[in-house]
Amino acid sequence: MSRSISQGAVKQEKVVNLRDCGPEGCDIDWLSSQKHEVEVDDVMAFTEEATARGWGDGLPLIPPTEARVRQFLSKNNRYADEVICTLPPADGECTVEKIAINAVMAGASAESLPLLIAALEAMGDPDFELFGLNTTTAPVLPLTVVNGPVRERLDIPYRHGCLGGARTQAVAIGRALRLVIRNVAGQEANVTSQTTFGSPGRIGGILFGEWEERSPWAPFAERRGVQGDAVSVYGTMGTMNIIDTTSTRGPEFLEMIGKSLGYPGANGYSPAMPFAEMMVAINPVWAEIIHRDVPSLEDVQEIIWTNTGIDADRLLPKHREQLEAQDRIIGGRAYVSVEPKDVLIVCCGGTGGLHATGFHSFGSCITQTRAIVPGPQEG
Amino acid sequence: MAIGSVLDPTALRADDITSPGPEAGPLAGKTVGFRLDEIWRAWDWMAEIWGEEFRKAGAEVKMWRSHQGRTGAAGERVAAELDAFLESIDIAVVGLANCGSCTGWTVRDALAAAEKGLPTTAVCTEVFEELAHNLARRGGRSGLRLHVLPYPLNEKEHDEVAAVARAHFDGLLDAMGVGAAALKEAAV
Repeated sequence: MSRSISQGAVKQEKVVNLRDCGPEGCDIDWLSSQKHEVEVDDVMAFTEEATARGWGDGLPLIPPTEARVRQFLSKNNRYADEVICTLPPADGECTVEKIAINAVMAGASAESLPLLIAALEAMGDPDFELFGLNTTTAPVLPLTVVNGPVRERLDIPYRHGCLGGARTQAVAIGRALRLVIRNVAGQEANVTSQTTFGSPGRIGGILFGEWEERSPWAPFAERRGVQGDAVSVYGTMGTMNIIDTTSTRGPEFLEMIGKSLGYPGANGYSPAMPFAEMMVAINPVWAEIIHRDVPSLEDVQEIIWTNTGIDADRLLPKHREQLEAQDRIIGGRAYVSVEPKDVLIVCCGGTGGLHATGFHSFGSCITQTRAIVPGPQEG
Repeated sequence: MAIGSVLDPTALRADDITSPGPEAGPLAGKTVGFRLDEIWRAWDWMAEIWGEEFRKAGAEVKMWRSHQGRTGAAGERVAAELDAFLESIDIAVVGLANCGSCTGWTVRDALAAAEKGLPTTAVCTEVFEELAHNLARRGGRSGLRLHVLPYPLNEKEHDEVAAVARAHFDGLLDAMGVGAAALKEAAV
């Protein structure tokens, strides 16, 4: 990697590695963020100060000292001033430096930077519609699914308690994403976000892996064209549990899932949203049975989707009329998504089975998948 | 206690246009464009009532309905339609900021109109006024003209909404920079 560097009047080409530029600093100051003099040895004092400045979520924050940020960056061969994307509604430039600062505050490891970059790049895609997601009255937040060997390297949970509660420092990665949304995208409740209730997920995020080794289907990202280490971001309203202690056959599980997902107050049935996706996490026990009985993933999507149909007569007349005007009543029924292909299936969770999780979508966000790319090699 | 320096984690833009932009001025012979949406029927009713008043003052009125879908092929189509709509009008009235995401898109579309140099007024309900101001500021144009309606609005029946439209018409004219007296003279 080379870059033209201005040093006084002399302009020269130099191979630059941030590894040259460790915690003690270096000849060229790549860090451009404003510096603030604050208490740095006392986490609680810093957290109080940072919260007052609007930087935090209320939980303890690690002071992002220059040394800590430089050390974080020194383990990643990326230019600090590289702009990954702009994030609405503030349209702040999301640079590698800003990601590093927020990751340090959240307690995320330096090794998580490539994942953070990929996830934020995905969120910054206009088709993800982060603008509406960040400003809405809804409790929506970006959910991040991780695929590939990086799950093990970063201890991303994909088994028991993968959506929350598993013992892993990876929870700090989700929090780092949330802090970037707060500090770079500028999302703040009752300032730029009108979220009526918010969500617990807006603190630590929802970040989990797919249990690829137990999934009967190709990895989620691979089905979307990206092999290996990858992230997919999806705008979710939160988690919805579906219990089934009676079914024994694949179609029965799928019917139970589909019927549970269908309710008029879900965004997928709202005339305010033009379309929606519907993500479902299926535990590996059910996944095996479902795959045995319904081998085609397209058929799995179709069965779930068909069962999300709500009799239009159950809807309030004004609601039904608006959906009818949008041609969204099909054969007298309203469905959670426009097409079965928008039912997105991932396999994860513990081997106790018995539960699936539905992630109703905000609508209008189109799921984005990106490869997790390590920085260029040194040299 | 040790004082040291930390790096600022925020990246909010510093540039800001505080001017409200050009006034709409006399309406005769101009085209006033209403940006509608797919959600708020009350906003449709208000636009019809206000539009009729503008016609009486000699203006042509155009309506364009935004689509909530701003992504994928639908999003590209909406963006192209918005651009064509803004090119076809002289004055923009953009609404309705009556929920979180629709306040976001109302302000964003209003900023697009203002960027084209059009006299532009965004319309919001009072619950969403602060959000609209904040988003306009973060969009780099804190001076964006804003007209505020009571809340709740969409929950009202047609006659009630019509009363709100009449009661807030002079306020709209002030926000647009028309001048109620000039409008009444033109209508005579």
